[in-house]
Amino acid sequence: MLTDDEDDEYDPDAESDGGVDEFPEIDADSDSDEDEGEEDEDFSGEEDEEDEEESSSEDSELESDYHVGPRAKTVISGITGQPKKVYPEIEPDYDSDSSTEEATNRVGNVPMHWYDDMPHIGYDVNGKKVLRPATSDELDKFLATVDDPDSWTTAFDKTSQQEKPLTSEELDIIRRLYAGENPDAEYDPYEPMVEWFTGKGKEEVMPLSAAPEPKRRWIRSKWEKQKIMKIVRAIRAGRIVPNKPKTTSKFEFYSIWSSEASTSAPPALPAPKTALPTNAESYNPPEEYLLTEEEKKEWEEKDPEDRERDFVPQKYASLRHVPAYDRFIQERFSRQLDLYLAPRVQRKKLNIDPSSLIPKLPSPSSLKPFPNYQSLKVSHPKGRARCVSVSPDGAWGVSGDEDGVVSLWEVNVGCEIKRWKFEGKIGSIEWCPRQDISCFAVGIEETIHILVPPNVDSAILSQTQALLVPATLAPAASTHPSVKWSSTSASSWSVDKPMLSLTLPQSSGVPTQLHWHRKGDYFASVSTGGASQNGVWVHQLSKRHSQAPFKKIKGSVQAVLFHPTQPHFFVATQQYVRLYNLAEQKLVKTLMPGIRWISCMDVHPSGDHLIVGGYDRKLCWFDLELSEKPYKVMKYHSRAIRSLHFHPTYPLFASASDDGSIQIFHSRVYNDLMTDPLIVPLKILRGHQVTDGLGVLQVKWVPKQPWLASAAADGTVAVWCS
Amino acid sequence: MEGQTTTNQPVTFTTQTQYPLPSQKFMIPTNWKRYHLSQLVNKALGLEKSVPFDFLVRGEILRSTLAEWCAENGVGEEETLDIEYIESVLPPQKMSEFPHESWVSSVSCELPSHILTAAYDGYLRAFDLSKNVVLSAPIHNAPITSFSILPSETTADMDGNSTYTVVTSSQDLTSNISQVTIPTVGSPSSSKVLASLHLHTAPVSSISADAKGKQLLTSSWDGLIGLWDTTIPSSDEVPEPETTGGERRKRRKVQKDESKPKRKAPVNVLKSHVGRVSKVTWTSSSTALSSGFDATVRTWDVENGVCTRTISASEKPFLDVAVTPNGQSALGVSTDRTMTMYDLRATEFSAATATFLHPSTPSCVAVSGGNTSVNQVVTGSYDGVVRVWDLRSTKAAVALFKAWEGKGQKVLSVDWRRDVVAVGGEGGLDVWKVQAGAGGSETGVEARNKVSA
Repeated sequence: MLTDDEDDEYDPDAESDGGVDEFPEIDADSDSDEDEGEEDEDFSGEEDEEDEEESSSEDSELESDYHVGPRAKTVISGITGQPKKVYPEIEPDYDSDSSTEEATNRVGNVPMHWYDDMPHIGYDVNGKKVLRPATSDELDKFLATVDDPDSWTTAFDKTSQQEKPLTSEELDIIRRLYAGENPDAEYDPYEPMVEWFTGKGKEEVMPLSAAPEPKRRWIRSKWEKQKIMKIVRAIRAGRIVPNKPKTTSKFEFYSIWSSEASTSAPPALPAPKTALPTNAESYNPPEEYLLTEEEKKEWEEKDPEDRERDFVPQKYASLRHVPAYDRFIQERFSRQLDLYLAPRVQRKKLNIDPSSLIPKLPSPSSLKPFPNYQSLKVSHPKGRARCVSVSPDGAWGVSGDEDGVVSLWEVNVGCEIKRWKFEGKIGSIEWCPRQDISCFAVGIEETIHILVPPNVDSAILSQTQALLVPATLAPAASTHPSVKWSSTSASSWSVDKPMLSLTLPQSSGVPTQLHWHRKGDYFASVSTGGASQNGVWVHQLSKRHSQAPFKKIKGSVQAVLFHPTQPHFFVATQQYVRLYNLAEQKLVKTLMPGIRWISCMDVHPSGDHLIVGGYDRKLCWFDLELSEKPYKVMKYHSRAIRSLHFHPTYPLFASASDDGSIQIFHSRVYNDLMTDPLIVPLKILRGHQVTDGLGVLQVKWVPKQPWLASAAADGTVAVWCS
Repeated sequence: MEGQTTTNQPVTFTTQTQYPLPSQKFMIPTNWKRYHLSQLVNKALGLEKSVPFDFLVRGEILRSTLAEWCAENGVGEEETLDIEYIESVLPPQKMSEFPHESWVSSVSCELPSHILTAAYDGYLRAFDLSKNVVLSAPIHNAPITSFSILPSETTADMDGNSTYTVVTSSQDLTSNISQVTIPTVGSPSSSKVLASLHLHTAPVSSISADAKGKQLLTSSWDGLIGLWDTTIPSSDEVPEPETTGGERRKRRKVQKDESKPKRKAPVNVLKSHVGRVSKVTWTSSSTALSSGFDATVRTWDVENGVCTRTISASEKPFLDVAVTPNGQSALGVSTDRTMTMYDLRATEFSAATATFLHPSTPSCVAVSGGNTSVNQVVTGSYDGVVRVWDLRSTKAAVALFKAWEGKGQKVLSVDWRRDVVAVGGEGGLDVWKVQAGAGGSETGVEARNKVSA
């Protein structure tokens, strides 16, 4: 109906409609035969008859073979005189698509603008011109839409050049196409399935192929095995790590909006507010806000940062006189700065006072008494004062220097009472701690002399003599052969001579340390710098017996100590301190101070604590109950530590160093095992000069008093009093 | 009388001297110093001979202008200041220095014409004022720690030689009673040890004779105080120690057997000190005062041999003690560089009334013997400085001088009598003139005029 093909297909219908155009001249030329049409007979019967005659004569033979559709009648055309087939008129009923069509124009598929200048628009089947229908103007179209409710279902027919209403079938097709369905209304997508191969009695029982099973179905593949073995070898060789933890580096998505905004964080701080204007900023401030001349001058002279206000209050009679604000940009800028620099987040700043981190120590003034000034000096003009010792009653001090002079002086006055002169350097000096005798040992090169001070009580003197020079000498067999004991007989003895002398083996060096056992019978000597490595000797006065406790000892011995309460013996080599049980003759403990070269040590009077000083400036405090590592390591001296000493009664200890200073520490040791010892630095005593890189060489406490005696390389022995 | 620009300070003057002013308020210009005030007092009193005064403002001697003092102590202009005035201590003047072979442990200028010293070499020496050694007696073989001259035993023979009985204490554990003769120029001196006192087992630190010369007290490092009479026994009261080895006993005396000193035993032993006793001194005929390293000062009833009172100080080993002339206070010097005054009458536990700080260890203290000014003492210290203190002014010494030309040698003993301070110590013997004010001796007049001019 819309296309030309359809037009061709339904030619008979078209012809039947063509009779609508009643133009006499066209009728004569028309191709269509409408003679047979029952309905159109009234007005075109004559012409149809003529056409039918012509067509029936031409196609009669063909139609005899088969017949589909209406049968044609061969009639003699009235125009041409030739027989022609005339088909019966197609009755336009509901079966016919082109029932309402008037496809009279038979120009075919040509551009219709060819006929734009023509009065007709084409030709009908009979070759007659089809005249252009009257075109309705816009008003008519509008009126048609108003009058006819179905006018929207029309479409412009190109060939007939006019609007034609769509049929209901066409509308249905449009609807189906619009709904995406099959446009054919007859099409049934749900037709019942016809079973050809499946179902009961149609099963396939025979295989499709009768070929036997191939080997590969039941023999393992050699190549797969080789591939697997390759992997196994790689696993064995470690090239492939099985069960390798999968790296979950893949980005994991999460919903950022799923959880609510965390409410635990404090809300952001509001921006700081601008300061409110004050009276001074008014255009008409009270008089007292206005600056005087001097103030204004002062304001101008000040730096902008130092000014109290950044503007000068001005007075204007009225608001009209106020000039434009010249500082607007600056003010905005400073406001922006305020906003930009203001902290919006409340930072948890750790406001820790550094001083609060320092452990709380009692103030030194509350720990009095301790020595704090130099009371007096005894000078050794010729050599370095190497060693000093104070008598057990605290009255006398002896000091030895490298010139061989041993000097006895009153601790309290410092006046030298007695002087001994020996050959060779004095290495060490030590009072015997016994109260019933009075003597002290002096270590000179390869010799140890026992000297008796002058002006001792006769009873004490006789006891001393009885001990040192017994009337009946013990058999000398037990004495170690290399140590010779020789004494001055009572008759020939004078205070200038040593009462007893011990000659150590040749080239054993200077005894740098002497240490008495607290009972005063044994004393130990340490010789360093000699040829023999083992310089430790333990001497017994009552039996005149010397023994070397160690046949062989690892490292060179620096210092030894008797334990004050137990039969233990401390031996400090260069890096370790070993504690031996003398009764059981075995090693009890090895302490590791971590000092490169130990110089000195001292044991607390309680026997539970040990301090060790080193040439590398370290001072280690050991709790012997606790660990082999130091309880505390202090490094307060700027040069090597030379000497350490615990006060026998006061909770004090002192350390002397090559930097010329003596440091006094308070060291309280608690009986309670849970409480750590309290060590408080109290005082640095300065006053000794450093000579040749050597400072204070030995410090000794004065028993019974908080006083300290110190021997220094500058040749002075000082007494420090509290 | 000064310009109108200076401000005035209301002041009242008080004094304990013999020159009292009427109790009256003075308006003193604040730019005045000691000299102006002294002139004012002199003018107000109308003294024909000007007496220099020192002024104590709240226990402190005025050294600057009044305004400076007020600014320093925060005293306003309206407050009335109480100013006490005392007679000035004139600047000490060195009289002479005596060369000495050894350290001087004790010195005495008790004798009018001679100065006696005891030295660490065991010698007792006497010097006359022209620096001659007139006596050099080896009393001990060990250092002498102190000596005392018995007052009653002084005699003079026809040659003008004076014979004194001297008691000495030594580090050889004994004390000796000896007779020394100080000759006039040219004559030989002589000395003889009459008796040795045997009690102590440690060096004897001090010896003191009472006013009558009848009784002695010795103190020792062994904590004992021995009471002795001065009679010389006819035979040894203490046996010789057993000489197990014949000559083994140390010989102390170099005298023949017939003149060997008699060994004397104590009358009584006063035991209370637990440490070394550093000094014992008589306070009256029957009471004594001792100080020790056990930080106590003890008063003794000597007759009954009991300790009547113990003043305990904390951590103050006392080196010397002295009693003020009025007998009410004890002055102890200790190794904590203080001199502390203790009220002997106070019954409270803490009797310390004043503390005088020294920059160095004070070793000795002496009150001016035979002088009425009760408020002045001298102390010698290990830095070689002798200080004169007024007991009412604790802040600073009223005068100080350096013995032995400031070599810093230790002062071990001082004695102050008749405006003369004898200083003994490491450097030997030094004699200075220190006037405690009230004297009026002729020699002080020029100096006084110089000060007040």
